[in-house]
Amino acid sequence: MSDEQKDAEAKVESFKNKLGPFVVAADATRMAMVFIDAKQPGNPIIFANDSFLSLTGYTRQEVLGESFNFLMAHAADAEALAKIEAEFQGKSDGGSEIRYRRKDGSEFWAALFISPVRSEDGDIVQYFASFIDLTALKQEQAHSRQLIDELNHRVKNTLATVQSIVWQALRATPEAKAIQEVIEARLFALSRSHDLLTSKNWKSVGLLDLLNDALAPFVGGRAGRIVITGENIKFWPQAALALSIAFNELATNAVKYGALSNDSGSILIEWKMDPTAEGRRIDLRWREKDGPLVIPPSRKGFGSRVIEHGLPDELGGTVHLDYRPSGLLCTMSIPAPEASGNG
Amino acid sequence: MDKLLSGRRILIVEDEMLLLMTIEDVLADLGCQSVVSASTVDNAIGLIDGQVFDAAVLDMNLNGTSSRAVADALAARGVPFVVATGNRDDMWDGFRDRAVVRKPFKYDELVEILMRLLPGRSSDG
Repeated sequence: MSDEQKDAEAKVESFKNKLGPFVVAADATRMAMVFIDAKQPGNPIIFANDSFLSLTGYTRQEVLGESFNFLMAHAADAEALAKIEAEFQGKSDGGSEIRYRRKDGSEFWAALFISPVRSEDGDIVQYFASFIDLTALKQEQAHSRQLIDELNHRVKNTLATVQSIVWQALRATPEAKAIQEVIEARLFALSRSHDLLTSKNWKSVGLLDLLNDALAPFVGGRAGRIVITGENIKFWPQAALALSIAFNELATNAVKYGALSNDSGSILIEWKMDPTAEGRRIDLRWREKDGPLVIPPSRKGFGSRVIEHGLPDELGGTVHLDYRPSGLLCTMSIPAPEASGNG
Repeated sequence: MDKLLSGRRILIVEDEMLLLMTIEDVLADLGCQSVVSASTVDNAIGLIDGQVFDAAVLDMNLNGTSSRAVADALAARGVPFVVATGNRDDMWDGFRDRAVVRKPFKYDELVEILMRLLPGRSSDG
């Protein structure tokens, strides 16, 4: 054993003696922990428990005296360094996920928590850092991501198969081309909603993201004519799918007969959260203007059924289509999703 | 009559039977001289080794297996191809500049891409 190591061991001994039962507890716990000297540059490690050693594969001699960041998988990772610094400053409350490297070179993710240890005068003399191994969690996340990708792959192939069935069935009937296009447009809208939900891991989708996505195919060449304003209120997947389908129907209608059927019309879509006695509600308005004179349809098609009946059933709200001569107005009043937030 | 894809030989690698049949029909309607198909990596590579193709349509995922090896074989022989995939934003490294269609796609879009990929019209076309 070198003098340096002996010196480090001796320091650990005196440290153990000073903190007494606390260190014995730290030594015995299954959570990986180290103590860091706050008074020396580079935050050297002055104590490491057995769990830390088995997590990292290093011996105690190899760890003691090393800078706290020596285990980082990517030493120059600015984002990780900032997270670690925030931990030291006490500016992080949930812990930080950092990628570390074991002695054998393999990498692992750990949640890092750092707390200061103060002297009687209130000076920070040491830091106490604990690590929670996130390997299993990260594997679980990767696995569920894989399942979602696989599901999406299946859904997309199924939609493509349905599309070919339609094509084959109508192939011999040239006048059915329009029908085929209507079906395809709806299949593509459904497909885009699935993409959006997949990108959010099928958890929830923001209303703003959902509208931008649903209307993207209609924006081409109509820049500035579709204006969407409102908070990105999160909806659960089933509701998001229903809303996507409804907005696709409204936009399709606008292209055929409404504000997007001429060169000057526009659509303003806006919503706000309203606190009511029965809880918060979202009031949304889809307002078309400067389109051709609106004539109410003599019979209601699939689109208006989806909007006026399907959507309210799905969301538990009310939806109204008002065929004003100056432009269609669609109003929705829907209960805000529980624990809905922004983001 | 001189159709859009007259005289062309196209390889389709796709494991969804109905989609495969429809792409075959779409291309045949446009005058392709031959449309050959495969639904596994091995079959596709066998065909590429034995025949000359003007272009190919390649599904990225054949029954859970990546078709990357087929892309490599096509690239090695200089056969232009368009990749079909069900996922939104995955592509193999080294092929990120390749044409992609996302399932379900418009058949017109596929034809348009194939036209763009095909080398100049042959003299007998």
